[in-house]
Amino acid sequence: MAVQRSEFTVPNPYPYNRSSAVRWIFSHIWRYKFFFLATCGLYMTAWFSFSYARVLIGNAAQEIMHPTGSDGLARIGLSVLFILCLDSLAALGGSLAVGTISQRLERDSREELYISLLGKSQTFHDRQRVGDIMARSTDDMNQLNGMINPGVLFIAETVLGLSVPLLWIASIKVDLLLVPLIFIATYVVSVRAYSRRLNPVVTNQREAFGIMNAGLEETISGIEVVKASAQEAFEREKFRKNARNYRNYFAQQGQVEAGYLPMLLYAFALGFGFLHCMVLYQQGQLTIPNIIAVMGLLAALRFPIFVSIFSFSLVQLGIASAKRILNIINAESELDENASGYAQPMRGDIVFENVSFGYEDGMVLENISFHIKPGETIAIVGQTGSGKSTLTQLMNRTYNTTSGRILVDGVDVRDWSLTALRSQISKIEQDVFLFSRSLAENIAFGAPDTPQEQIEKAAREAQAHNFIMSFVNGYETEVGERGVTLSGGQRQRIALARAFLSNPRVLILDDSTSAIDSATEDEIQQAIRRAQQGRTTFLITHRLSQIRWADHILLLEGGKLIAAGTHDDLLRTSDQYRRIFARYDVALPLVEVEAPSV
Amino acid sequence: MGFIMDGLDGEAYDRKYGDGVLVKRIINYFRPQTKRMLAVSAAIVLTSLVNTGLPIFISDGLDRLQVDDSTRTLIILTVGIIVLGILGWVFNAIRQWLSASAIGNVTLQLREDAFDAVLKRDLSFYDTYPSGKIVSRVTSDTQAFSQVVALATDLMSQILLVVLLIGYLFSVNVQLTLMTLLLTPFIVATALGFRKIARQTVTNSRRVNAIVSSHIQETISGISIAKAFRQEQAIYDQFLDVNAQSYRVNLRTNYTFSSIFPILNLMAGVGTAALVYFGGLQAQAGTLTAGQWYLFIQGLALFWFPLTSIASFWSQFQLGLAAGERVFALIDAEPKVVQIDQLDVPQLKGDIQFEHVDFSYNENEPVLKDFSLHFAPGETLALVGHTGSGKSSIGKLIARFYEFQGGEILIDGRDIRTLDLGQYRAQLGVVTQSPFLFDGTIMENIRYGKPDASDDEVRLVAEMVGQGDWIRALPNGLDTPVGERGGSLSMGQRQLVSLARVLLQNPSIFILDEATASIDPLTETLIQEGLDIVLENRTSIVIAHRLSTIKNADRIIVLREGEIIEEGNHTTLLAQGGHYAELYNTYFRHQSLDYIENAGRIPVLSE
Repeated sequence: MAVQRSEFTVPNPYPYNRSSAVRWIFSHIWRYKFFFLATCGLYMTAWFSFSYARVLIGNAAQEIMHPTGSDGLARIGLSVLFILCLDSLAALGGSLAVGTISQRLERDSREELYISLLGKSQTFHDRQRVGDIMARSTDDMNQLNGMINPGVLFIAETVLGLSVPLLWIASIKVDLLLVPLIFIATYVVSVRAYSRRLNPVVTNQREAFGIMNAGLEETISGIEVVKASAQEAFEREKFRKNARNYRNYFAQQGQVEAGYLPMLLYAFALGFGFLHCMVLYQQGQLTIPNIIAVMGLLAALRFPIFVSIFSFSLVQLGIASAKRILNIINAESELDENASGYAQPMRGDIVFENVSFGYEDGMVLENISFHIKPGETIAIVGQTGSGKSTLTQLMNRTYNTTSGRILVDGVDVRDWSLTALRSQISKIEQDVFLFSRSLAENIAFGAPDTPQEQIEKAAREAQAHNFIMSFVNGYETEVGERGVTLSGGQRQRIALARAFLSNPRVLILDDSTSAIDSATEDEIQQAIRRAQQGRTTFLITHRLSQIRWADHILLLEGGKLIAAGTHDDLLRTSDQYRRIFARYDVALPLVEVEAPSV
Repeated sequence: MGFIMDGLDGEAYDRKYGDGVLVKRIINYFRPQTKRMLAVSAAIVLTSLVNTGLPIFISDGLDRLQVDDSTRTLIILTVGIIVLGILGWVFNAIRQWLSASAIGNVTLQLREDAFDAVLKRDLSFYDTYPSGKIVSRVTSDTQAFSQVVALATDLMSQILLVVLLIGYLFSVNVQLTLMTLLLTPFIVATALGFRKIARQTVTNSRRVNAIVSSHIQETISGISIAKAFRQEQAIYDQFLDVNAQSYRVNLRTNYTFSSIFPILNLMAGVGTAALVYFGGLQAQAGTLTAGQWYLFIQGLALFWFPLTSIASFWSQFQLGLAAGERVFALIDAEPKVVQIDQLDVPQLKGDIQFEHVDFSYNENEPVLKDFSLHFAPGETLALVGHTGSGKSSIGKLIARFYEFQGGEILIDGRDIRTLDLGQYRAQLGVVTQSPFLFDGTIMENIRYGKPDASDDEVRLVAEMVGQGDWIRALPNGLDTPVGERGGSLSMGQRQLVSLARVLLQNPSIFILDEATASIDPLTETLIQEGLDIVLENRTSIVIAHRLSTIKNADRIIVLREGEIIEEGNHTTLLAQGGHYAELYNTYFRHQSLDYIENAGRIPVLSE
């Protein structure tokens, strides 16, 4: 298969077969051939011993009815002890071996998935939901583990548990296979019919439970609205309907399970098996001890019949999980690093030429053009969904434009080396992500050896120093689950400090944090204004004070640039922009009729 | 496996029920199912009888065969086995069928009761307990509790089987039966000891799995930063450690679980061998027939499984009862808001009078003390103050979300406690700080407070808010789905929806807790324009966070620690230079035009 493009690789990875889910799973198992073969051998030993013990019990009966000597019974008793111990120990060894395989499979495939995730492009990650990837690397991994142990194990036990006793029965008298074979045939048919009836009920039941839970969760979360609107009766009816629906599926499952036919068939098998033995006994072809052995072997069929119900669905679930994991691993990452591309220090001159971007189901941005000179500050204003964020993501080639082009320093972004482009354009997201480590490490992320003074200098510039020092552990304060929780404004300033250290030429700041008090607002204003110095800065902001003082304001609506210019320009030309300021007691200039020069 | 249960956290409203009380409650829930449960019990007894009878019949048949192998005997024996098998299957099917519907019905009843109890709680309850935990009491705990019955019936049939079988074996041969029973304490002790180890390893596994999850979560969430700074190798090395640790811990758990059955099997093997030998000696001596000897060997296998499972039944049973206790505690918790009457509420004028009201969320921290305030019909009143000044509590008391402890609140001159809550709240419009939307379309959400409104009515109010510009900005207009909790809309759009919702309801009293979240200036303008319409012609109480709302209010009430310390309009209060001026400088200064106009002139700090 083709070599995958990747941003991250490890030396000498184990070559798994990724051409199909089943082959992939098998190539993982085959990596531990020894354990695999040991499992097979040990379980075979166990089943042969277990079945042989039934034969020995028949021999003991023979010894009881026709004693051969004083120590005959003791010899058989010791043999039974030995054989049954062998059975248990072999089963123990087998289950440890299969447990080892399943755990290693989980470990290895998780590592495989992890490496592939690290190697995927940012475009890929932008499109995947974190929750979805989490589900694949935890739930699906568990499912995979469960497919081997006990899924495949149960299948092996079913096959061995049905065939080995039959072999011993045949060794006593081949004719006696008649009843068990008919039984197995009818059993296969009825089990299939059973799971065809049960599966939809179980699925429906699970869905009904999910709906009931989600509905309840929603009612409780929105309880203030429910109460304020006096809609308790409506919510009660909704819940009752969902709960009743679940009850119906629950009862239905009980009814399907009650009609589990294989157990009934087994009763017939036992009866006719016994009859067959008795007929042969009547004809003198079989002895009572023989019958005891055969009945013991027939009884041994009960367990495999019981476990086989679970095994098939476990394996099906496991293969479905493997497919989901493989889909991620095999996903092509449409990255082209363009390592030999343009890689000069950036000045920060940015031109959009008739840029459009969209997916099959609609355009996100349409025909956008503007020119930004180095060092200017641009405020992007628009409602949610107007394309503000996408516009900035085109600049560092998180996405490629659908049509039109973007020039940075006069060079098309597609001709830039991706590393050179991205390392000089830095973006601070609206929801700043911090790692669960110290504040100092978070600021100096990517340059672990940065001296403390530089970290503190950056933090001061970002107006983060004061609040950092207000923590007992200062810069060593842990962030995240085991540490402090920072407010949106504080996280933003940590990210700004990070940016001051890495010193990009173009800074994109998605600033939607709100300051509830004026003192914090002052600090954020200071930090952003400091960040604007000497670099091209794009602000996606809600702050009128930032918008008002930007060199350029881009007003977006539904993916179109509806107005552009300075504050004063827009007050004169844009109705929307005027409406924002109309609420303030500001003297608005007269509206100009001529179209804005975009 | 029931013993792998999540930590069972307690809540303040939990209580201990005496065994007698608990049993009584349980019986009450099962009373409507009496017939079914009687039939289930009968089926259990019959199933156990048949299941015990079958091996006895076979072993007896083996003995009979030796003296009489006529075709008649053959037919009797065959038919006997098959009939017993069919009966066992039928009785078991009846049991499963009936107990599934009985348990389903009881669970449903419990769920409905629990949900009704939840709906009756006032908001203090929801403030205290996270929604996830309430949900799990209503859905999962009820389920776990009802399963107790399934477990109990299972347990009963297993015990019955063991008792019947042992009873019969005693009648056959006391010595051998005692020898068989000798194994019991070993099996039970092993099963119990194993449970202890298993619990520990499972706890470790869960812990290490959580570590793996959070590591991957963090990697994926922070991948863009890791990539921007080329830190993939460092993160990968950490992952290898975490993954290896997870492997070691989970392998141990796996080994523990894999070894229990082979070990128990080993004991059963020893028992079987002993029975083969010692039973065989007795059979040779003639005190036992071959069939009876065979019965003992088969019998061991028959009660070996029930014995190992009885040990784990007990803890599952306890967990189920504990779940029941939690559900009953939820049902029995006392609501704090109590209406003393349910008088009809005619069209309200919107006159609200607080008279010497005392209010606190909990006993130690009074929020309002001897608080009196009058809201005139049609007035717009802005409440300002620091966090904890009691400004939000006033709105919540008017909405009757909480109970107050002293004084009176009069609505149009009538005691708020005497009103029919449903009718009263139908005339209230409440917009909370982070407005909640239900999964559905915008149209459905606007209609929520007035379910009989026509599409045109909804469209009309939507157009009234911000000139309807916001609807046109949405891909499918009013039919746009809002997503779970309104997640696919921005905070500002959610506010617009909730304003439209209130407009449609056309309430006499409007309570607004203004959002502190930042909203893009275009949407913000639409909200402000929408507010102008909502505030008109009705008594409005605004817990204000926006300078523009405060400026437009008829009256500003300045609160500090539950007391009114200043009152007036923006200009006069600011001129006084008192608490309002301080609040202005803390919260509102940066929203002023002055601030916006001068932001560009502040010198930038240079290092």
